[in-house]
Amino acid sequence: MSLAARHLETNGIPTVIMGCAKDIVEHCGVPRFLFSDFPLGNAAGRPFDAESQAATLELALRVLESAPAARTTVQSPQRWRDEASWKLDFADLSKLTAEDIAERRKEFDVVKAVIKTKQTDP
Amino acid sequence: MTFAPEHDVPIPYMQRTRDYYLALGYGAYRWAHFDDVPFTPLGTPLARARVALITTAAPYQPGLGDQGPGAPYNAAAKFYKVYSDATGAVPDLRISHVGYDRKHTTAEDPNTWFPLARLQEAVKAGRIGALTPRFHGAPTNRSHRVTMETDAPELLRRCREDGADVAVLVPS
Repeated sequence: MSLAARHLETNGIPTVIMGCAKDIVEHCGVPRFLFSDFPLGNAAGRPFDAESQAATLELALRVLESAPAARTTVQSPQRWRDEASWKLDFADLSKLTAEDIAERRKEFDVVKAVIKTKQTDP
Repeated sequence: MTFAPEHDVPIPYMQRTRDYYLALGYGAYRWAHFDDVPFTPLGTPLARARVALITTAAPYQPGLGDQGPGAPYNAAAKFYKVYSDATGAVPDLRISHVGYDRKHTTAEDPNTWFPLARLQEAVKAGRIGALTPRFHGAPTNRSHRVTMETDAPELLRRCREDGADVAVLVPS
């Protein structure tokens, strides 16, 4: 998505990305970015909360119209929860046994095989 | 004075993902990274602007396995070409083909990753001029080359065709 935003921007279309993966988007480098510190999959606001979603969109629109330069990131003030322990769970290796890791590897090999088949479809 | 806990920061996805796949025995993934970043100032006030919405969500594809909320990662449901659909209807989109946080969210409410309804409200309120007649789907394949040489130019072409003044991009 960051690459697409960069391409549109290079060709004269101003963009804003709404996203949850701050490091990945900023590592790429994009013109304007509204960051929500929410679990991946909630870049447009809290589930079943139209007010949260509207506030998130409004902030993105404000970033679109007021960013002074490239690499403008604004962080939404919304919090997913009062406490932040959910952030420790993503790709957490500490709770995995050697068997778990072998199982995950097997699953990922299947995923890769599926993608390879689809990509080579005519 | 009490500081916030050390771990209460944006999740370091790149480091965690690298460590995770190294532990599984794979090589390190390299994320796109540039030192220069383009910038185009807003030319049209938003109240008069035509807004394009770009998503990574996939159209529901019957027969390709569980794509419902909370479904396990479903690589078969991925798509490999840019698609477009009308912004005037409610599309049936799913995100089972991407790595959203399956432990802490459910993907039950599409409005959390596809803000079409909220954008339509913004049009009604006069906050933005209009939506383009179509939204666009961006493939999430992991080839930077395909994204830069094929998908991004195609998205640009479609945005121009629709007369988009600005674009809102929402990865799911």
